[in-house]
Amino acid sequence: MNLSPLDTAIFLVLGLFGVGFYALLIVRHLIKLVIALQILVKAAVVALAAAGAASGKLELGASLALSVIVVDTVVAVVALALALQVRKHFGTLDVSELGTLRG
Amino acid sequence: MMPAFVWLILVLVLAAPLVYLGGHVGRLRQLVANATSVEWETDPPNHLSQWLALGALAVAWIPFTLAARASDAAFALGTLALRFDGIALLLSALALGLGTLVAIFSGAYLRGEKQTEKFFALLLVMVGVMIGLGAARDLFNLWVWFEALAVASYMLVAFQRDERASLEAGVKYLVQSAAGSVMILLGIALVLAQAGTLDLEELGARLVTADSNLLFAALALFVIGFGVKAALVPLHTWLPDAHAHAPSGISAMLSGVVIEAGLIAMLRVMLPLIPHLQGQGNRVAVLFLVFGAINLLAGNLLALRQTEVKRLLAFSSVAQVGYIVFGLGITFWSGQGVGAQGAFFHLLNHGLMKGLAFLAAGALLFALRAGLPRHAPLTISDLAGAARRYPVIAFAFSIALLGLGGLPPLAGFMSKWQIFVAGVDAGNIWIDVLVVFAALNSVLSLAYYAPLVNAMYRGNVSPLVARGTPVPRAMVVPLVVLAVGVVVVGVAPNVLDWLTQPASAALLHSLGY
Repeated sequence: MNLSPLDTAIFLVLGLFGVGFYALLIVRHLIKLVIALQILVKAAVVALAAAGAASGKLELGASLALSVIVVDTVVAVVALALALQVRKHFGTLDVSELGTLRG
Repeated sequence: MMPAFVWLILVLVLAAPLVYLGGHVGRLRQLVANATSVEWETDPPNHLSQWLALGALAVAWIPFTLAARASDAAFALGTLALRFDGIALLLSALALGLGTLVAIFSGAYLRGEKQTEKFFALLLVMVGVMIGLGAARDLFNLWVWFEALAVASYMLVAFQRDERASLEAGVKYLVQSAAGSVMILLGIALVLAQAGTLDLEELGARLVTADSNLLFAALALFVIGFGVKAALVPLHTWLPDAHAHAPSGISAMLSGVVIEAGLIAMLRVMLPLIPHLQGQGNRVAVLFLVFGAINLLAGNLLALRQTEVKRLLAFSSVAQVGYIVFGLGITFWSGQGVGAQGAFFHLLNHGLMKGLAFLAAGALLFALRAGLPRHAPLTISDLAGAARRYPVIAFAFSIALLGLGGLPPLAGFMSKWQIFVAGVDAGNIWIDVLVVFAALNSVLSLAYYAPLVNAMYRGNVSPLVARGTPVPRAMVVPLVVLAVGVVVVGVAPNVLDWLTQPASAALLHSLGY
């Protein structure tokens, strides 16, 4: 089976997105939750780079992918800071122990 | 020469670190002065950062007035592309106005909290990036502004960080919102692959040959991604926690402006795509109308069961977003600007009324918290007889609640009426049915607004109210300003035409009508 680079990228995006989203749904540990979000965002990074290549704007796609990595790092830092506060005040990193989830 | 609106963003964003440092300087000075005498259990009162923030907001009104007069200014620097059109003007007026009042309100409200300089610095960032978000002209720029807004919001929601519920709300908000951001990015990637550009004004021309199924997929991703931020119903679950457990000033900002900013961002990214859906454009209108109706019903039914005041107000925001989405859907269907103008009008009114409601609830929480455990929520029964001790606050709160419920001489009635009239004018039997449904929902919403008013005015004075402390004037002034605003807009709805007409004109322009 011969895959073009674009096909490979699409499979990679779908795979990363699937893994990340599944992890987001089942994981209860705050740090693992941050990792799940990171995997999810990596799907978007690959998608942007591939979209740039597909439309003939390689540099644009690459620069967008890099910007996403930067912004995403900020989000991860804030998420970890929240995790730190949770740990400090309540001695647990388990989301389900944090409180009852109300609709 | 930079246009005035760029200065508006710069003043707010650059002032934020100064406010933060100012708080530190103030604290150091007080620590030195008191080093020998007093041992501080909490941080000493710290006014410098609040005054700096108020100064920055006051200065920001100058470029705002200039920007409001100059129409359609544009600015580009490298890949940063901004355009200050009608929609941006509307969002910045709301953000700056409410932000200023919240800054006045919060100084006294946060007494006893630690590190309030972070609060004021983040509040400035929030207002500044929201204006940038409204003016973004590039799809990816828009996403970056939105992430900046979201990051500021996460930290502000979890501001009372020794509080279990606040941290939980912050985590929940962050996870759901970050997952939504990924959806938006995937949508952006689809658009980029089709068009080869992300400039919202060039997109229209480039998408002529695009595959309409892929565009519809991108559109769906945008609706899901921004739907999380704008609290469209199946995606709203973060909202009641975040809005109920943030400091009250931030609840006002979140409910009054931030979810609306999500809606405006959604509009911005969808508008260039809609004309290229090849006959599927009406599907988008149906999507908006149905989402609006679901939001109305779900928000109202969930709010009915609530006993905590701030949680009730949070669910009522879900319902109010329904009216705005509904109005936009009418415009997508008919191509007439009236529905969108009504939607933007309701967006502004909701900002005023919900801002007022959350600030009034915050003022009452402040007054009664002597009798409550630390950071405990305020329930409806706690408010019994509040009007006797706090007549001004109770009156302002009642105006906000009755306005939200849509009672005639108040702001909420006018904007709902405009949306309904636009719906009937669209001349489709199903839209007529939905208009009747929305009007009935308005009545339903009174079923939870009225008991609150009733408790404040007719209940016997609860022990909590009897023990309540007086409320500082700095907290009452923003309430009075907003209450007067709600009444004036209700009596003379034309006073806001200068904001709503350019916004709906900009929307129609982007749609290509």
